[in-house]
Amino acid sequence: MRIDLSLLVPYLPFMLEGALLTAQVCVLALLGSLIVGALMAVARTSANTLLRRAASIYADLFRNVPFIVQLFFFYYGLPEIGIYIDAFTTGVVALSIAGGAFTSDVIRSGILAIEPGIIEAAQVSGLSKTKVFSKIVLPVALRTSVRPMGSVFINLILTSSILSTITLNELTGTAKIVASDTFKPFEVYVVLLIAYATLTYLVSLLIAALHRRLNRDLGEAVR
Amino acid sequence: MIKAQSVRKVFGSVTVLDGVDLTVAPGEVVSILGSSGSGKSTLIRCINGLERLDGGSITVDDFDVSKPKELAEARKRSGTVFQMFNLYPHMTALQNVTLAPVEVLKRPKAEAEAEGRALLASVGLADRADAFPSQLSGGQRQRVGICRALAMKPRYLLLDEVTSALDPEMTADVLDILAKLAKEGTTMVFVTHEIEFARTISSRVVFLEKGRLVVDLPTEQFFAADGGLANPRIAQFLSKMRKD
Repeated sequence: MRIDLSLLVPYLPFMLEGALLTAQVCVLALLGSLIVGALMAVARTSANTLLRRAASIYADLFRNVPFIVQLFFFYYGLPEIGIYIDAFTTGVVALSIAGGAFTSDVIRSGILAIEPGIIEAAQVSGLSKTKVFSKIVLPVALRTSVRPMGSVFINLILTSSILSTITLNELTGTAKIVASDTFKPFEVYVVLLIAYATLTYLVSLLIAALHRRLNRDLGEAVR
Repeated sequence: MIKAQSVRKVFGSVTVLDGVDLTVAPGEVVSILGSSGSGKSTLIRCINGLERLDGGSITVDDFDVSKPKELAEARKRSGTVFQMFNLYPHMTALQNVTLAPVEVLKRPKAEAEAEGRALLASVGLADRADAFPSQLSGGQRQRVGICRALAMKPRYLLLDEVTSALDPEMTADVLDILAKLAKEGTTMVFVTHEIEFARTISSRVVFLEKGRLVVDLPTEQFFAADGGLANPRIAQFLSKMRKD
């Protein structure tokens, strides 16, 4: 067979729109899962038993249910009880909640790995609880958490393709339309492969740079 | 004034502090001696509020450390230096020193940094201010630890076996700094195994055994044959420490 990518040229603006939507969803969901993950990690390492238990249930629940089931529940299930949310918001929220469950795991293990004496030093210096967390606990935990968090984020980007199943025409959604329009699935999906690989590669470069920055005192040892 | 009255601390079935009374007045250097497990470090950790008391009370300048609101005030008045340094690994030496003055005392950053650099210079670390803890030797880390505590201008300095993780040469560096501070009139509570050093800088020596404060004497009397040494347990402890 002959491969002719040029026949996709008329569809490029359309697919670019999809890529842009994917980027938007992903940026928002990355931020969302970072915030949700950090909050849940705090809850899961808290001294309060109730808070700890509630956060563990959240993490266990959303890690153990397929993402597509969660998504369908939010998008097709909730309207049954009168809750309507548009596809874009549903996508961002669902990704943030699911991603947050995994992110909380990663940040939690980063927090547990901190030498307790470091936190005690911050406490006796008179820093408030919130300051101890924002100035010491979180940044020190991120030093070890940022790499595994990168894997979670890359997974999140890949998972965002599932949003095409709730009528959101992001990258995968537009590709499906173009493929059925042109009858050229091979070419279309080759482009899609490259697009996702580029996107995730960029994120992994960013994560690596962030990891180096957070551990800059350790020099070559962390590269 | 630091006032500990009938302090009790229990870990599980072990009573670590069993009715300890201790008063430290401004200007005093009080050394706490005792074998490991005698409760020395726990006493320090009770004074700075890292351990909850199971009985008795501790006040720092009349602020009760068992009341959360007052603990914050008590903590502003005392600075702690730790055995394992416990520096913030993601911050430079200077940032370690300036964090609390800026965040707790709300000092302007430039001012805190100027003071921090001066403090670091006073312990011979002027050129290491921008180094991270992982780039410093143990002795240098502990000197940063001392500066971090001093930066808060504490009325009381709590020192928890601050040379136990250092080799003899680095120990000497750190002890020189402490001797200088003692001479300047800094109030110190000094948990240590450095008997001879304790003897030279302390105004008082207390001896803990199995969570009880056995002896609390002016330094000279503590080391006198008819004073602290008259207690067979103390005599045995001192001769053993000197042999090591």
